[in-house]
Amino acid sequence: MGIKQSCSFTPCVLADLSLLFCILLAPVCLATSPAALLQVKSGLTDPEGVLSGWSLEADVCSWHGITCLPGEAGIVTGLNLSGYGLSGMIPPAISGLISIESIDLSSNSLTGPIPPELGVLENLRTLLLFSNSLTGTIPPELGLLKNLKVLRIGDNRLHGEIPPHLGNCSELETLGLAYCQLNGTIPAELGSLKQLQKLALDNNTLTGGIPEQLAGCVSLRFLSLADNMLQGNIPSFIGSFSDLQSLNLANNQFSGEIPAEIGSLSSLTYLNLLGNSLTGAIPAELNRLGQLQVLDLSMNNISGKVSISAAQLKNLKYLVLSGNLLDGAIPEDLCADDSSSLLENLFLAGNNLEGGIEALLSCGALQSIDVSNNSFTGVIPPGIDRLPGLVNLALHNNSFTGALQPQIGNLSNLEILSLFHNGLTGGIPQEIGRLQKLKLLFLYENQMSGTIPDELTNCTSLEEVDFFGNHFHGPIPERIGNLKNLAVLQLRQNDLSGPIPASLGECRSLQALALADNRLTGALPETFRQLAELSVVTLYNNSLEGPLPESLFQLKNLTVINFSHNRFAGSLVPLLGSTSLTVLALTDNSFSGVIPAVVARSRNMVRLQLGGNRLTGAIPAELGNLTRLSMLDLSLNNLSGDIPAELSNCVELTHLKLDGNNLTGTVPACLGSLRSLGELDLSWNALTGGIPPELGNCSGLLKLSLSDNHLTGSIPPEIGRLTSLNVLNLNKNSLTGAIPPALQQCNKLYELRLSENSLEGPIPPELGQLSELQVILDLSRNRLSGEIPASLGSLVKLERLNLSSNRLDGQIPSSLLQLTSLHGLNLSDNLLSGAVPAGLSSFPAAAFVGNELCGAPLLPCGPRSPARRLSGTEVVVIVAGIALVSAVVCVALLYTMLRVWSNWRAVSVSNSDGEESAHGGHGGGGGKWGDGKYWKVGSPVSWSAEQKHSSGSETASVLLHDKSTEAARAGKR
Amino acid sequence: MAARVLAALLALALAVSTAPARASNDEGDALYALRQRLSDPNGVLQSWDPTLVNPCTWFHVTCDQASRVVRLDLGNSNVSGSIGPELGRLVNLRYLELYRNNLDGEIPKELGNLKNLISLDLYANKLTGGIPKSLSKLDSLRFMRLNNNKLTGSIPREFAKLSNLKVIDLSNNDLCGTIPVDGPFSTFPLRSFENNSRLNGPELQGLVPYDFGC
Repeated sequence: MGIKQSCSFTPCVLADLSLLFCILLAPVCLATSPAALLQVKSGLTDPEGVLSGWSLEADVCSWHGITCLPGEAGIVTGLNLSGYGLSGMIPPAISGLISIESIDLSSNSLTGPIPPELGVLENLRTLLLFSNSLTGTIPPELGLLKNLKVLRIGDNRLHGEIPPHLGNCSELETLGLAYCQLNGTIPAELGSLKQLQKLALDNNTLTGGIPEQLAGCVSLRFLSLADNMLQGNIPSFIGSFSDLQSLNLANNQFSGEIPAEIGSLSSLTYLNLLGNSLTGAIPAELNRLGQLQVLDLSMNNISGKVSISAAQLKNLKYLVLSGNLLDGAIPEDLCADDSSSLLENLFLAGNNLEGGIEALLSCGALQSIDVSNNSFTGVIPPGIDRLPGLVNLALHNNSFTGALQPQIGNLSNLEILSLFHNGLTGGIPQEIGRLQKLKLLFLYENQMSGTIPDELTNCTSLEEVDFFGNHFHGPIPERIGNLKNLAVLQLRQNDLSGPIPASLGECRSLQALALADNRLTGALPETFRQLAELSVVTLYNNSLEGPLPESLFQLKNLTVINFSHNRFAGSLVPLLGSTSLTVLALTDNSFSGVIPAVVARSRNMVRLQLGGNRLTGAIPAELGNLTRLSMLDLSLNNLSGDIPAELSNCVELTHLKLDGNNLTGTVPACLGSLRSLGELDLSWNALTGGIPPELGNCSGLLKLSLSDNHLTGSIPPEIGRLTSLNVLNLNKNSLTGAIPPALQQCNKLYELRLSENSLEGPIPPELGQLSELQVILDLSRNRLSGEIPASLGSLVKLERLNLSSNRLDGQIPSSLLQLTSLHGLNLSDNLLSGAVPAGLSSFPAAAFVGNELCGAPLLPCGPRSPARRLSGTEVVVIVAGIALVSAVVCVALLYTMLRVWSNWRAVSVSNSDGEESAHGGHGGGGGKWGDGKYWKVGSPVSWSAEQKHSSGSETASVLLHDKSTEAARAGKR
Repeated sequence: MAARVLAALLALALAVSTAPARASNDEGDALYALRQRLSDPNGVLQSWDPTLVNPCTWFHVTCDQASRVVRLDLGNSNVSGSIGPELGRLVNLRYLELYRNNLDGEIPKELGNLKNLISLDLYANKLTGGIPKSLSKLDSLRFMRLNNNKLTGSIPREFAKLSNLKVIDLSNNDLCGTIPVDGPFSTFPLRSFENNSRLNGPELQGLVPYDFGC
């Protein structure tokens, strides 16, 4: 629009696309410079009013930001409006400034595209548009600017490719296109820019490799291609840029080895190759870079030794080799031992380096050492104080041993001391108190011991202290309150004892306090109310006691409180001043009173754990507002009243534990809507009514315990839909009806308890499908009837089976012998009859008493099995009788053996046949283990097979029984 | 350049200050290491939050009263990946139930450190390699079910020391050599070893080496 208006009274009117006319009519256009400038002005928003003086009433050369050709009035050569907060678009009218040589609109808030019309400004030598919000692509017309020396248009939102036409700007010395969204490849045409000294293309999304034509940029001093997606090898021609001072290829995808030719860049002061995929060793040639001040090869896959010698690289200040695959030791000659080293910062973290760090003591100028995450060993050298300039010392995640020496106190500039996760022993030297600048002291996960020296409280700059996981004992220093800047105090898992010092309340900046897992005693000091910044406080596993100071309610920034496993008592209210709580864990204390409804003000609560206290009253319905709650544990208190149906609004609940209270009423059916629930424990309450079938909707449930209540009705078959269930415990209720066969679908159950109810009907054979049952199948103390299903023999992992105190009848199925994992069995007090299968005889008699059973471990099965109990005398008589008979039998047996031996084959066959028919009613496998098995055992192999299922004394009694039977037969024979 | 240097320093400060104060619970760390190894399409390990004080509220993990991990139940959970040595740090574990999954790799020898283990159920996976001798250190072990895997090598003779072993099932593998006869092996039925095509039956002591034919 601007162009059209400015030319509307000239012959240009028809040539609004062809600016050449204006160039031809240069005198006219020169004369309209003020008008063009005013059009530029009109397109801009000028918050600081720097353009307010731009008016035709004043000489254009006096306008702010305008430079004119000296002597010749009115010929504008310079426009500099950098950094005035200008917004709006760059008006194409700017092309009317035909005499202009320099435009600087950088560091404003300009938007819109770069006007292609700029291409007509043939006198332009400098164009600075960087640090705006310009959009669109780079106009190829800029390639027309034959006199352009400096083009800096980076730090905008330009996209698209770099126009190859820029290769025509043959005078170009500086090309700055960094920090845009440029894509595509680096145009090979840029290689024509023989005068180019600075090329900055960093922080774009350029792809492809470095074009070999770039070798033509022979004047390059500064080359930055960092933070793109460039790939391929680093070309060796880079070594020919003899004036190159700075080379930055960081954060690309360059691969291959570092070209040794880089060692020829004798002017190089800055070399940054970090964050690529470079491999191979560090070329020894790099040691020839005598001017080099910064060398960063970090975050590559460089291997081999640290072959850098700061003794040769006399100007090196920064050496960064972190995050590679370097191994071996730090070279002895890293720094020449003549205090001439300039090396200030050494970063070797995250390699495979080993050995000691004594070689570093020669680098007298060091300010930062980071050798963390390696395999360094040995002690922290006492001579570390030969590095008086040290500010940062990071030795963590290595295998340093020995004690921290008193010389550490001489490092008076030290701000960061990070020694965590080593094997350090010994105490903290009291000299640490001299480190007045120390901000971070991380000693965690070592084996340090002794007391925390009082002198530590002299380190008044300390912001973070972490001693977690050591063996410090004794009290927390009483003057800890001197550490006014302390934000993090982590002393967890030591052996600290005594009270929490009242002065801790003076650490007003404290945000995180972790004193858990110690032996602290006493009450929480009243001064805690001053810790207004406190967000995380964990004191669990101590012996802290007493009621909490009411003033704690003033702490409004608390987010995480964990006081579990202490002896705190009294009301919870002091902990509920914050509405930002996400975790409130007070398990196993002696808190009393009600659960205050205000707890529900913290709508972001994730874990509310109040189990094992003395809380009374009802569960507040307001807990239903905690829609992000995952864990609600109110177990083992004295809570009463109903389970509020509102809890079903806590849709993210994974654990709901209300067990061990005095809750009454019914199990709310709406709990079935808690689809994330994995654990539901309502046991040990006084709940009534039925088990809601809706619980079958909690499909992720792993543990369901409703035991020890007064629940009635039958077990809903919908429980069978809980196919993830591991544990189902409905013990000790008043449930009636049959065990639903649908339980077979819960095929991940490893524990099933239904005892002490009034369940009736048969044991569903389907329970034999629960092949992962392991801990126990307990159906005892019900009214179950019918036979024990043979299918239970499939429960090969079952360790305990309790079917006692029911009305089960029939014989014990021989299939139970397949329960090879069984070590607890109770079938007592039923109506079972017949012989105890021999393979079960290793279980004690108590497992079988109260039935019509016989055979070991009970009394042997006689012709008429005695149903009544035998008196002691009778037992003695019987045993003596058996012994006598046995003796006779032994003799008879020996005799028989001799007789039988000669016609063994015939006897064996005939007996076998007889047994099979006699015990046919037991089913296929049963006969093998029946009464006459001794004789049925026809070969040594099956003899040993029998032994497998009985052991020790039981075997003897079985044998005794069997022999006597045989004696009777032998007599008959 | 100054910016670069500043960035490096910042990186140091950041690295130092964000280094996590690792939880004291070695058991939680060990379990979390397992989680990192496993591919878990059904999300059964979703609740395994390493920032919690201990793993006792993680699903499929059971603790005793002293918050020590005693059971790990990941049977039939459609997890794949390798078991890894970290589980050897769960020294209080009594039940290790990893059956019916797609676990591959070897049985880590570190499982021999689980002194309290009663049940080792790794059956029906895709485990390869040998049965580690170190499992003979599991003095409390009653149940060892390694059947239906792709295990190779011989049955370690040291297992005869496992005096509490009540059940062993090594069937359906690719084991070789002979079956021990000493100690608890005198009572194990042959079906515990069936379908190992290169297994040569009970050991004939003194006649042939136990790994004959391996």
